[in-house]
Amino acid sequence: MSRPAQIDPRGARFTAAITAVLLLVDVGLGLVGGVAATLAERAVQPAFLLLVVLAAIFVWSAAAGVARNPWSVVFRRLVRPRLKPPAELEDAAPPTFAQGVGAFVTLVGVALHLAGVPYALVIAAAAAFVAAFLNAAFGYCLGCQIYLLLVRTGLIRRTAAV
Amino acid sequence: MDPLAALATVVALVAAATVLGFAWRSRQGRIRRLHGADAVSIDGVELTSTTLLQFSSEYCAPCRATARVLDELAQEHGIAHVELDVAERPELAARFGILQTPTTLVLDDSGHVRARIGGAVRREQLSAELTRISVAA
Repeated sequence: MSRPAQIDPRGARFTAAITAVLLLVDVGLGLVGGVAATLAERAVQPAFLLLVVLAAIFVWSAAAGVARNPWSVVFRRLVRPRLKPPAELEDAAPPTFAQGVGAFVTLVGVALHLAGVPYALVIAAAAAFVAAFLNAAFGYCLGCQIYLLLVRTGLIRRTAAV
Repeated sequence: MDPLAALATVVALVAAATVLGFAWRSRQGRIRRLHGADAVSIDGVELTSTTLLQFSSEYCAPCRATARVLDELAQEHGIAHVELDVAERPELAARFGILQTPTTLVLDDSGHVRARIGGAVRREQLSAELTRISVAA
């Protein structure tokens, strides 16, 4: 199997932890704010603006690689120099794929909220929170699970490497 | 929603996710003993000794660590370790009902599936199980 770019697994967990906290804040804001009556009002609600920022970060990290996620950069610049070297490195591909899943879920929330669907923003942010939280606290990789699901349903197929 | 109710909902969400996390983690690496009646044969995999058959995928955080542990165990026990990519062998993933990566099957030298481990393997437990299987054989 190909072994792509390597990252410090603690950086991936750090990134997931910050993401989880921000998503949880967004769930709270969304519950308090509800869904405003007009499109213009909905587009400036705090929960909406925060989710747009988080979705943009997901899209950026999925496209540019999780190593360029702003929280990963914070980890590398500020946290990692204070830690011992990692026991082992991890592939960057699974967390980068997971960022893509996060991008999809949050963008759906953004779109449905603009359309005025009640609780869409809260549910999308809560779903993304659960995935990020399980990754940060338990090392669970939802992106890996979804990738396997796509393989099992025949949507992804690769020919055997020689 | 008033702020207090929103806060309670947020706390409940964190609690539910925590329960989910512990439930998931307790199942990881658990060894399930199987008594398959039929011997399996797998294209491209020769079953001449007890074999640790590991299903991995490209997007799999714990697969590499599991591959390393299984390599070490295979050497210690004088058995084989074969790693397959589910994307390259989807028919095998379907046949064995692989629902997570890594999933490891322990096949004895007659090709019977003796055990199945979902998730990252626990070294000591699997080592004890391999000893048990080789003694019973």
